[in-house]
Amino acid sequence: MEQNDLVVQMKGITKVYPNGIAANQSVDFSVRQGEIHALMGENGAGKSTLMKMLFGLEQPTEGEIVVNGEKVSLSSPTVAIAHGIGMVHQHFMLVPSLTVAENIVLGMVPKKSGMFIDFKKAIELTKEYSERFNLAVNPDAKVVDIPVGMKQKVEILKALIRGAKILILDEPTAVLTTQETTELFRELIHLKEQGYTIIFISHKLNEIKQITDRLTIMRGGKCMGVYETASITEQEISRLMVGRDVILDVQKDEAQPTDVVLKVRDLHYTNEWNKKMLDGVSFDVRKGEILGIAGVEGNGQRELVDMLFDLSEPDAGTATVNGKDVINASQARIRAMGVSLVPEDRMTYGIAEAATIEENLISDRFEEKRFNNGPLFNMKAIHAESDRLIADYTVLCKSRKQKVKMLSGGNIQKVVVAREFSSDPTLIIADQPTRGIDVGATEFIRKKLVDLSRAGTAVLLVSADLNEVMELSDSLIVLYGGKIAAYFEDTSELDDVVMGEYMLGLKRQSDEEIGRVCHER
Amino acid sequence: MKDRRMFVFELVRGAAAIAVALAVGTIFIFLSSDEPLNALRYLLIGPLVSMKGGLASFNTQGFYTILAAMIPTIFTGLAVCVMFSSNQFNLAGEGIVMAGGFVAALAGIYIHMNTGWHAVICVLIAAALGGAIMLIPALLKVKLGASEMVTSLMLNYVCMYVVLHFLNYNFADRSKGSTQTYAFADTAKIGALVPGGSKLTWGFVAALVFVVIIGLLMYRTRWGYAIRMIGINQAFSKYSGMKVGGTIVLAQVIGGVLSGIGGGVEVLGRYSTFLWKELPGYGWTGITIAILAKNNPLLVPLAAFFIAYLNKGCQLMATYCDVPSEMIDIIQAAIFLFFAAEQFLSGYRQKIVVKNTRADLAKAAASVEGGAE
Amino acid sequence: MWGQLFDTIFKAEFLFSVIRITAPILFAAMGAVIADKAGVVNIGLEGIMMISALFGVLFSYWAQSWLVGVIGALFVGALLGLMMGFFALKLKTDIILAGIAVNMMGAGGTIFLLYMFTGMRGNTGALVSSNILIPTVSIPLLQNIPILGEILSGHSVLTYVAFLLVWLIWLLLYRTPLGLNIRAVGENPNAASSVGVSVLRIKYIAISLSGALAGLGGAFMSMYYSQGWNSGMVAGRGFIALAAQAMGRGEPVGAMFSSLLFGLAQALRTKVSGLQGVSSYLVSLIPYVVTILGLVVYAASTLKRVKKIKAAHPEVKR
Repeated sequence: MEQNDLVVQMKGITKVYPNGIAANQSVDFSVRQGEIHALMGENGAGKSTLMKMLFGLEQPTEGEIVVNGEKVSLSSPTVAIAHGIGMVHQHFMLVPSLTVAENIVLGMVPKKSGMFIDFKKAIELTKEYSERFNLAVNPDAKVVDIPVGMKQKVEILKALIRGAKILILDEPTAVLTTQETTELFRELIHLKEQGYTIIFISHKLNEIKQITDRLTIMRGGKCMGVYETASITEQEISRLMVGRDVILDVQKDEAQPTDVVLKVRDLHYTNEWNKKMLDGVSFDVRKGEILGIAGVEGNGQRELVDMLFDLSEPDAGTATVNGKDVINASQARIRAMGVSLVPEDRMTYGIAEAATIEENLISDRFEEKRFNNGPLFNMKAIHAESDRLIADYTVLCKSRKQKVKMLSGGNIQKVVVAREFSSDPTLIIADQPTRGIDVGATEFIRKKLVDLSRAGTAVLLVSADLNEVMELSDSLIVLYGGKIAAYFEDTSELDDVVMGEYMLGLKRQSDEEIGRVCHER
Repeated sequence: MKDRRMFVFELVRGAAAIAVALAVGTIFIFLSSDEPLNALRYLLIGPLVSMKGGLASFNTQGFYTILAAMIPTIFTGLAVCVMFSSNQFNLAGEGIVMAGGFVAALAGIYIHMNTGWHAVICVLIAAALGGAIMLIPALLKVKLGASEMVTSLMLNYVCMYVVLHFLNYNFADRSKGSTQTYAFADTAKIGALVPGGSKLTWGFVAALVFVVIIGLLMYRTRWGYAIRMIGINQAFSKYSGMKVGGTIVLAQVIGGVLSGIGGGVEVLGRYSTFLWKELPGYGWTGITIAILAKNNPLLVPLAAFFIAYLNKGCQLMATYCDVPSEMIDIIQAAIFLFFAAEQFLSGYRQKIVVKNTRADLAKAAASVEGGAE
Repeated sequence: MWGQLFDTIFKAEFLFSVIRITAPILFAAMGAVIADKAGVVNIGLEGIMMISALFGVLFSYWAQSWLVGVIGALFVGALLGLMMGFFALKLKTDIILAGIAVNMMGAGGTIFLLYMFTGMRGNTGALVSSNILIPTVSIPLLQNIPILGEILSGHSVLTYVAFLLVWLIWLLLYRTPLGLNIRAVGENPNAASSVGVSVLRIKYIAISLSGALAGLGGAFMSMYYSQGWNSGMVAGRGFIALAAQAMGRGEPVGAMFSSLLFGLAQALRTKVSGLQGVSSYLVSLIPYVVTILGLVVYAASTLKRVKKIKAAHPEVKR
């Protein structure tokens, strides 16, 4: 391999965020001229951080970046673009009410008579690039009116027109339908033929096999190796990508599940981009067990939780808690049924940052009789409750009057968990309960979950952390592409390799095997 | 420790904002007056200190006048506190003060009662009207998402013109030179608290009672709690199971009730007939007061006192010197701008945060070392 | 009574006054449109109009030139916009509160400033002479057409400028790079900054332009409409302009029609108040009630659209 063949070399990259999390540890990453290179890894593996540094959105703590043989300091996206690097983000950076052509030329508008926008030129430019790269877009259409596949093409064109020779695509197929994906691949291959270099972030094995030349696998912030796509099997990729670095040893007694609490039947949901996110999902969660939902993010987990807590409405299907409908119930009603939710987006839903710890702890119960004396709050009872919760959940703080925003991430999550776990719930939905928090808080929260389930609470645990979901769950389902791909009644004998194959869609159990997760007919 | 440092910082920042505002005022005094020092003396100490023959003495009547001027603005300040706490920029307090004052006056004229409850009934009618008017912007916001700011601004004018219509066409006392209603019954008047012409009435006591009530409402009841949480994070409140729409409406209705009471108490306490021909301005002053009080009802009297003091100082300056009393608006605007500026002196806040973080880290390191031993 | 009313309304003189009354609102409404397009709520239009109205008179008096007055008012307006921008964008004062502060300065501060500069109280009566007022122009040819000429000719220079501005603002927003940047910044600042457009700079420009337009509205009020400055002069026109912007769906032409609606209602009021049995006060209500109704209709009709846009573009916060 010739050195001058490499258009991008990232050497010994380490990135430590101000909160102390090391997202990348001495990562080496390089891309050849004119190849499609996959960057693979689970969520949190450090792919996005690495690419943000290549696009100038973040700066490495250590290490160097070489582009086209020249050592560069990519201090901002503008600098990265000047070096011919373009990025298509997962969330599009488009202005909906502007036309396609206007979006494409924004910030570099062609002018006529010195001050007016030369629309003709903008449209010509759009058409020219659109034809040259075989990326069909309608220059006059407003972005708000075009399908998501075309929006993505607009983003690619935006990068190309600004002179990008190296394109970073961040999970480009996550929002696309199958047809759109096929079309995108054709276009990417066309770009490759014209000498462009493409970095393709994904965790979908079939896609990677289909269009990439080489791939780099990351896990836990480290590089797991670089391979020629043709010479590695899907099973090997899966094994490298999915796996546990340390096996946790969670102490728990065997589950004694009894009655069905949460009963989900045949849930369907199509998102606003017309993509089927949930496709006939059915399962039961029983009293006294922890049912885990494993899967690579974006396979329907978030949508499922949203349905169960009235944050969006399914197209079809039912969900009941102890026989009562939750689909058409408000959050207040759902909570009254004894359902608690540890939300994935804790800063938006889980807490009110500018309020005190105490105020955050009582948000679901402040109307209860025991906290009110006629029209007034019973402050003694409220103080007692918050002091008890702060002590029970070891929230590190000065006092209950401290603002939640002054706490560390782990302690903020403890506040959320303290509230959600202490309402004597019949069902706890824990969505990524330990993401991004310190080890101590993580262990504490996991232990609490186990204790609660052994005391008779039904727990639905959604986690992208394989370690967590495998160790904590009594039984487990794997979501892939909006469907349940596997059900494991007993998680103790499971191994990472098998899990990886189900999570990445290499394998799927028979309907009969999956159907066993519905304990009640 | 950490919190106390931030608290002190906020205190210093508030004081600095006021100081900057007064400095701006001083500059203008020096620019406009031939006797700036004299004018400054009237502005700063004039309201409470009277000078006679070189002897300074405490001006009791002046003090009462200031307290009297606080009556309507305490009510509007409280109203704004409640509405802004729910993150609703409703500015209709202004019009409701006028409407409330008007119906209170009418009730004082046309309802005949012999008991001392007459004034209370009048004010209650004003309160009910205020709450009812606020339903308009509140419901339009909750049901249709129409900006409560624009609708409430328009409502101010609607209130004003409706009042002027009824005043002119239905209830005017034609025997008087200017347009005003008949005098209201003595039973409807709110009695003076102290002798003299200060207009310090029992309304002041009522205002303080309401400070306590609203303070309790906001910090000691489930409704106030819901209002504040919705103001801080609506998504969180909904997820927690609160009735978001209803609470937003409630907050604005409470704001309307308070503004209505403010208007009623002011008219029945200060005048003997209704004679406002334009919006009285208490609604806007209420906003300044709420900002100064940081939406905390218990701080409203303090803020109202400060504004009333400045107002009085400006009036004295206008009477005895050559500086127009409208100076107050410039000082108020400056206070407003700096007091509400989150980034004002933020450099210092950053330093405090860094210091705090360092202290925390050092403590954490110490405890780790301690644990390792 | 109705007969009388119709007689007045269908006179050229009436339509002439509609245009005259609409002009100042139109200036401010254009200011509201530009600010809103950049994602800034300029509630300070009212105060900016008051202050620049005063400075318009002062500048024209000092220079004995109406043109200097108008340009002065424009600059004062732009400066106030810039000041609001400084507090809102740099010091992070809530933009609504910054606007209210400017309105306070406009309400009482102007009286103080007038006194400071001239020693006068409440109004500028003694300063104003006809040579420092904005002149009217008769348009050749047009003025000779019956009725139409009476309606459209003989307005002040600034009246024509106001209506011309609708077109100019439209051009600016939809035909120039700056306008494209303003719209992009207002709708999705991330998208704008990702292609190197400075969001802060664009917002400063937009709010200064907004202030400058309100400044022209102020100059119109004091140097033509009321022939001098007085303390109650603007009387909520800045707020109405905000409503006109909302009712006109934030578009220049839409805002113009909303402003005309208000002008019509106001003109009706002056006509009707002379009639027997009609309350001038209730007639005065019309524009405000119409505005609220307009907002309701607008809000109800956009409810669905907004939902759709929000769903398709979760990254856009509106």
